[in-house]
Amino acid sequence: MLPLSYFNYYLALGAVLFAIGAVGVIARRNALIALMSVELMLNAANLTLVVFARAQHDMRGQAVAFLTIAVAAAEAAVGLAIVVGVFRNRRSTQLDDLTMMKH
Amino acid sequence: MTSLLPLLSTAQVTPGEVEAPLGPQVAFWVLAALTVVGAMLAVTRRNLIGAVMSLVASFFGLAGLYLLLSAHFLAAIQVLVYAGGIMVLFVFVVMVLNQEEAEPWALRHVFGLALGVAAAVYLAVRLGQLLWAAGPGGGELASRLRIREGAPPQGYGTVAAIGDYFFTEFLFPFEAVSILLVIAVVGAVVLARTTVAKATTVYELPPGEVDLRQPQHDARDEVLGVLGHHAQAANRPGGGH
Amino acid sequence: MDASFPLHLIPLLPLLGAIINLLLGRRLGKGAVALVACGSVAAAALVATRAVWVLGTEGLPSGALVDRFFQADWIFSSGDGLDLHVSAGLMLDRLSAVMVLVVTWIGLLIHIYATGYMEHDPGYHRFFGYLNLFMGAMLILVLGDSLPVTFVGWEGVGVCSYLLIGFWYAEDKNATAGRKAFIVNRVGDFGFLLGMCLLFSLIGTLKYSEIGSHMQTLRQPLWLGWPAACFIALLIFVGCTGKSAQIPLHIWLPDAMAGPTPVSALIHAATMVTAGVYVVARTHVLFDVFPTSAKMVVAGIGAATALMAATVGIVQRDFKRILAYSTVSQLGFMFVGVGTGAYAAGIFHLMTHAFFKAGLFLGAGSVMHAMGGEGDITKMGGLGKHLPVTRWTFFIYCLAIAGIFPLAGFFSKDAILAGAWAARFQLARQGFGPFSVEWVQHFTQDIYPKLIWSLLAAAALCTAFYMWRLYFVVFTGRFRGTADQEHHLHESPPEMTVPLMVLAAGSVVAGWVGVPAVMYHEGDWFGAWLAPVLPPPAQELSHSVEWGLMAVALCLSVIGIASAYLLYYGGISEAARRAAQILRPLYLLLYNKYYIDELYDVVFVRPLKRTAWFLWYVVDAFFIDKVLVQGWAWMVSMLGRAVRYLQNGEVQRYLVGVLVGTAGILWVTTTLPPRRAAAFRLSQQGRRVTLEAGGGSSRVGLVYRVDWESDGKWDEVDTRWSTLTHEYPGQGTYKILFEARDPRWGTSSTRRRVVHIE
Repeated sequence: MLPLSYFNYYLALGAVLFAIGAVGVIARRNALIALMSVELMLNAANLTLVVFARAQHDMRGQAVAFLTIAVAAAEAAVGLAIVVGVFRNRRSTQLDDLTMMKH
Repeated sequence: MTSLLPLLSTAQVTPGEVEAPLGPQVAFWVLAALTVVGAMLAVTRRNLIGAVMSLVASFFGLAGLYLLLSAHFLAAIQVLVYAGGIMVLFVFVVMVLNQEEAEPWALRHVFGLALGVAAAVYLAVRLGQLLWAAGPGGGELASRLRIREGAPPQGYGTVAAIGDYFFTEFLFPFEAVSILLVIAVVGAVVLARTTVAKATTVYELPPGEVDLRQPQHDARDEVLGVLGHHAQAANRPGGGH
Repeated sequence: MDASFPLHLIPLLPLLGAIINLLLGRRLGKGAVALVACGSVAAAALVATRAVWVLGTEGLPSGALVDRFFQADWIFSSGDGLDLHVSAGLMLDRLSAVMVLVVTWIGLLIHIYATGYMEHDPGYHRFFGYLNLFMGAMLILVLGDSLPVTFVGWEGVGVCSYLLIGFWYAEDKNATAGRKAFIVNRVGDFGFLLGMCLLFSLIGTLKYSEIGSHMQTLRQPLWLGWPAACFIALLIFVGCTGKSAQIPLHIWLPDAMAGPTPVSALIHAATMVTAGVYVVARTHVLFDVFPTSAKMVVAGIGAATALMAATVGIVQRDFKRILAYSTVSQLGFMFVGVGTGAYAAGIFHLMTHAFFKAGLFLGAGSVMHAMGGEGDITKMGGLGKHLPVTRWTFFIYCLAIAGIFPLAGFFSKDAILAGAWAARFQLARQGFGPFSVEWVQHFTQDIYPKLIWSLLAAAALCTAFYMWRLYFVVFTGRFRGTADQEHHLHESPPEMTVPLMVLAAGSVVAGWVGVPAVMYHEGDWFGAWLAPVLPPPAQELSHSVEWGLMAVALCLSVIGIASAYLLYYGGISEAARRAAQILRPLYLLLYNKYYIDELYDVVFVRPLKRTAWFLWYVVDAFFIDKVLVQGWAWMVSMLGRAVRYLQNGEVQRYLVGVLVGTAGILWVTTTLPPRRAAAFRLSQQGRRVTLEAGGGSSRVGLVYRVDWESDGKWDEVDTRWSTLTHEYPGQGTYKILFEARDPRWGTSSTRRRVVHIE
């Protein structure tokens, strides 16, 4: 079991993961990578929730993390379906090609 | 204390303990490194399968960290649902699409990209700093967060405890999420479904090629009833590599 | 006998006729329109006659018939101390009785005449609608029992005159003339309104019958030692100069001849332009107040106008324009009458003038009708044998206006001349004020009236000359127009000639109601009729003087007629042409109407147009339209153009925005407050230094620490006070270290400042 001072490291780790995910979302062209990066960001948030839950000896944070996982699953399912549909129409999953919504 | 992975959580901590045993410390750093490296690889890898696999590794690392945080059930779910379910879905889609990545980085708007990366880095540093400050020993915020010393109570993070929450306090979000999942399933099916005629021809093509014999399917075509955009189909972005 | 009478019928009948004609006239057909128009005026004339009969026969204690449209106030307004009550009331006393009879009966004749004159005009029903509307407004004007009610009619005739002058609005010239009449009248109306406001602010009522009981207030000095009544009178007179075409607002009347001739006869000869004279007589109590400066102004302007217009009339070539200047001139006579205190004479001339001037205009209409609309008298000539009725009636009118005994003009003009000769103006009491000096008294009492008389006498001479010049040029000699015109010359139909004859008869006999007392001691029946409402002239003349004045006036008229005969009988003589050549500068001056239009153009019209141009192009078109309206649109479109680059459809760019925004929020909430708070202010009092954290409201929740000497030891730690004071032990230079910290986020910022202690 870790001492309390280690929670800081956990929290910093969550921030780092979040940043990596954010960079991935904005910088990668591939829609699949972007979706994965979103998952990464969700997990970073989850980690922070769990850390605080542990620090407070309160399991509500974990419960919320569960809900997050469910939402992430739904998001992945719909997101991947969209990617497949888009690919079928445009023959591409590159995000910067998909700009027809601006009109 | 029931534990799914007794190996990592056997160390019962007595209140007031300052020094951590060496095992969990090493475990934390190893798992943290695994998580971060996996995440970075997932974001930077050109190969999609490689990226997915790196992410799976990262999620395993996270599951380990959850165990260190006494969230046993969550760790299990993380492995089952994320690494086992969601990421398999990703792998499946990647393999189905079977696309080569021409240029992995969206470099068309360098300025915007730089701005975004700078913002993301600032966010990471700043959030890290703040969360650090919020942690134990961080002063006012930490005290306001009611952070407690010592080991968690009996049954913390077990299936029974989680289930208890879900059927009492979190009943409504729980049900709402279940409805959300149903909607997502239906939505995914509707989105991914295709008309039989289109599907057969399109998927027979080699990747990156455009079938000029067959009109490209466009959502607007269905509305307008217009078929046969041969010339336009050839000019579509992404179709002519 | 109750003093109330359904007077409202008199204006109401023509107004009903106007409504019928304007709304339904197109469907009714010409016969019905004419019937409605003339019938309504005839009915009004009959009611008016009956009312006057009642007024004359019943001994009414108040001397007036009254009527109210409705019992409640028409206008009610409450102010501090002054409540404005205006009832829509009508009143018929002996003065308005004269006016009502003149307006209705002469109006009726002109209506009948117009049914023939406008026979072929497509705007027949419109014309009669306006004409009836005009009658209604004019009757409200003369019957109103207070200034506001009169003002309604006053504005009504203004509008109708605008509508009728510009009746043939398809021609730009006519529409311009209509606008000119309206605008010039508005200038006068403004004075009238100001006069009303001033009057109301002083005595709190505007009823004619109540003004007389407030004379004590009105005699109080208002400004520069002059009584309030003087200013009110002058302001009202400004309105009268506009409506009655006196200098300097006379310029609209000659242009108003652009309207159909019956309009000229009705509005610009017989009725509307006399409204000014009527209002002056109606409000004579204001003009009679002691320093008679207002009356001097009225008489002076009247005399100047009379002579100015008469001289201009000598050289004009347009038939109706000559008559227009004649009208202006004769109105000047009337104003001299009311301005010299000979009110009855002024009103008398108003009445007789209505007969012969209406006749002159109708005769002009008859001539122009025969000439196919041609108005230039140099193209006429010898029309006497083609238009016998017109010729002989015109002959009578010319005699009448020239003032030949025993026609109407003789008696009325003589009364005015006598009044002017007898007038005595006083600007100050003996020994009081700057105007009491000898020569001023002498001038106002003796010279000024004689001066006015001389101007009038000259005007009378000119009148006789130009009227007979007109007569001889038009009706004698050989025809100078085209053969085609000559072929079509014909006498007018009976509906036009009968009114001419009636008016001619009137021009002969109308003067007999006011025979001066020196001829027949009970002859001045008209003056006696008006005596209860209008004061008699102040001074009586001796019989010999009066006979002498009469003889002089008659001689002048005869001289005028004789010289016109010599110069113009049988056409424009060689002598007349030579005279015009020799006196060419004078001729041009008169022909161009003293260049007054040009003067106004330079002084008023052009600056106004330039101002309007400035307001239009610079203020409205450029500043408001281009800068404000289109400028905003331009800014929005530019903004849109800029924002368009942000909406490029790429989700990742949007996400950059989300990230940057999140980072910004984080920065503003966590980093900024301590940073702003750390920028502290210093104030020094001797050795005492006070430090105040910056940042205002954003520093809530921050804690501070300070190191006053920068010796690495915090002097104050974690204080929540944003203002800190320190007293230094001795002089020297110190470095202050100040740190603001946000304990919620653990963010902090530090600043250093140097302070010198003397």
